Amino acid sequence: MAGFANVQELVNAEESGQTWFATWRKSPTQVTTIGIWFDLSMSPGNPVPQYYAASPLVAAAFAASTNGGLYHGKNVTPYTKHLRQVLALTVTSTGLPMPMLLCDYLLYYPFIDEGTTDVQPLTNSVPLPRYTDGKGVQMMAVSVASRTGGQSFTVGYTNQDGTAGRTTQTVIQNSVSLNGSIVTSDRAVAAARGPFIPLQTGDTGVRSIQSVTMSGTDVGLFTLVLVKPLAQMQIRGIDAPVEVDYFMDFSQAPVIVDDAYLNFLCCPAGSLAATAIHGSLEVVWN
Amino acid sequence: MAGFSSMDDFINETTVNGKFSRSDWNKNVLPTTAQVAGMWHDLSTGAGNPSSDTGYGAGSGTNLSFQSLTDQSTLSPGIQHGGNVSPDTKHIVNASAFSAAATSMPAVFMLVDRIGYYGMTTTTLTTNQVLINSITFTANAGTDVITTTGYDIASLTRVQLTTTTTLPAGLSLATDYWTIRTSGTTSTLAASLANAIAGVPIIDITDTGVGTHTITAFYDRQTSVLGAGLKAYVVVSSGAAVTAMGAGTPNISFTYTRPDTGGTDTGRVTPVVLPVGLTAAPKGTIPYSGTGVGRYGPFMPFQAADNGIESAQNFQISATYTSGNLNLVICRPLLTLPMTTIGVAAERDLLNQVPSLPRVYDGANLTWLMYAGAATPVNSAFFGHLDFAWG
Repeated sequence: MAGFANVQELVNAEESGQTWFATWRKSPTQVTTIGIWFDLSMSPGNPVPQYYAASPLVAAAFAASTNGGLYHGKNVTPYTKHLRQVLALTVTSTGLPMPMLLCDYLLYYPFIDEGTTDVQPLTNSVPLPRYTDGKGVQMMAVSVASRTGGQSFTVGYTNQDGTAGRTTQTVIQNSVSLNGSIVTSDRAVAAARGPFIPLQTGDTGVRSIQSVTMSGTDVGLFTLVLVKPLAQMQIRGIDAPVEVDYFMDFSQAPVIVDDAYLNFLCCPAGSLAATAIHGSLEVVWN
Repeated sequence: MAGFSSMDDFINETTVNGKFSRSDWNKNVLPTTAQVAGMWHDLSTGAGNPSSDTGYGAGSGTNLSFQSLTDQSTLSPGIQHGGNVSPDTKHIVNASAFSAAATSMPAVFMLVDRIGYYGMTTTTLTTNQVLINSITFTANAGTDVITTTGYDIASLTRVQLTTTTTLPAGLSLATDYWTIRTSGTTSTLAASLANAIAGVPIIDITDTGVGTHTITAFYDRQTSVLGAGLKAYVVVSSGAAVTAMGAGTPNISFTYTRPDTGGTDTGRVTPVVLPVGLTAAPKGTIPYSGTGVGRYGPFMPFQAADNGIESAQNFQISATYTSGNLNLVICRPLLTLPMTTIGVAAERDLLNQVPSLPRVYDGANLTWLMYAGAATPVNSAFFGHLDFAWG
């Protein structure tokens, strides 16, 4: 049986070397804004940044083998791989305190045009590469071209049960002109959310997205990204690293599936420009 | 039973039985070039206590050959940990590190047990270079010396012997021996690491045997599955006598045998995306760490699901470095220690805070690897300690 039946099996797996340790380092150049979630996958460092560059409105998949992401070792099937520990630290205070969310990036629909109120159909040329039923898969809107802000939109999608024709709650865009920011997150605007777009009542995940409808026009572009949130942590200050042992601290060990593309979302308390965020990640499989 | 069965047992062993040792260490970072922010470095190459490594690369042994390391290694010394304790098992209880040097923070330290390394002076070649783990030998029944040509085997190397016909009398197949090096081509053998350290008794060889005999080095300090838990990293040789790494940004790869899975375990390869070396990488640097495509830290990536290295067979760079030496180091990671603030000690309680009590095997060669969060000036000093207990 894959996984861990008890603590002894976890210890045995670690003793026999079924672990991988790797460091990461993100050095955003973006002048982020307090309370606005930000997608660190678009920042320089290790792993190298990605920019959601693909055919407009056509689904494209993420995979570690082709896109990179935080390195967590190679595939381990028939074992299952679990997140054991994450470390993060910075010695620059301007962005702190800062929650961080580790996600498996699955699928994205690039370059959604904010300049039209027509329904924009999206092409699902590829399905979800992982978590294929969509359970727990969340949707976020990442800015790739800045806007004035203040317009609302909804998204039509298929939920975790395969039911099509579902519609998200109406969300409003912020006015942050920053690529990589989550356009629907804001801490002071009613109907703004963050980091994920609220789904229709009763839904717990997204299997695919069919359309986007703006309620008013703007000048920007955004990308809709489907992610599976895996783990969270907070960097509270510059005087101590945050170290989370998900097994010891939270009695859980999030699963990292084969070929997962991992990266972080974060919600800084100020600008992350010139802030180097350092960390490590340790996984164990059995 | 070795180890600690309870907190009471731990307290009894460390206080009543005195099975406790403390080692203080201090190491400077690279002596010639500032450490590059975002890259990993091997602190064994810096000055301090233990003294700087002069064994890497051309410092000792035969090019491309496996050189075993222990706490007795003179050219590649490790942090002392109180000697051998078998049949007890030794564990790290506490660890600390700090620095008062400017721009030395943040940093992440990783303590590793260096099992050994393959030194490579041939970095101007792009061919697939065969690593040396074994060599033929002849035996002298009068002196009990074995002679090898083409592989200078380090003292205290764990070896096994094979033959095409009959081994020299006194020697056995499928049996561990430890070498006592007497010259670049000669060694005697001992039946245990302890005997090899003591130099006596040596194995009495009573004839020369029949056929061609082969001696094969094995990675020492093993768990029940050979090679399980071992990782590999590549480091640029250090020392004033070593030529600095020249220009070049090659892909770096190696092939290896993984720990026994009951199936085919040989021919394992470094997976794509291959690690990419830094041009003119400073001495002591892990050249494929840092930021950018093909940068990993600190270990060379393994093929899918592999949990260690039983032995390494080949090493290759896709393009030449114009000069310099590299080393493929085999190690066992033991603990990590993050630091954020100058002058504040990072302290790790491995019994209560992070309950892991990493095991330190007899002969372990303990060394720090360092992730430099900032460009760290040459010879920036780090200090710290390790507490050990055994039972």
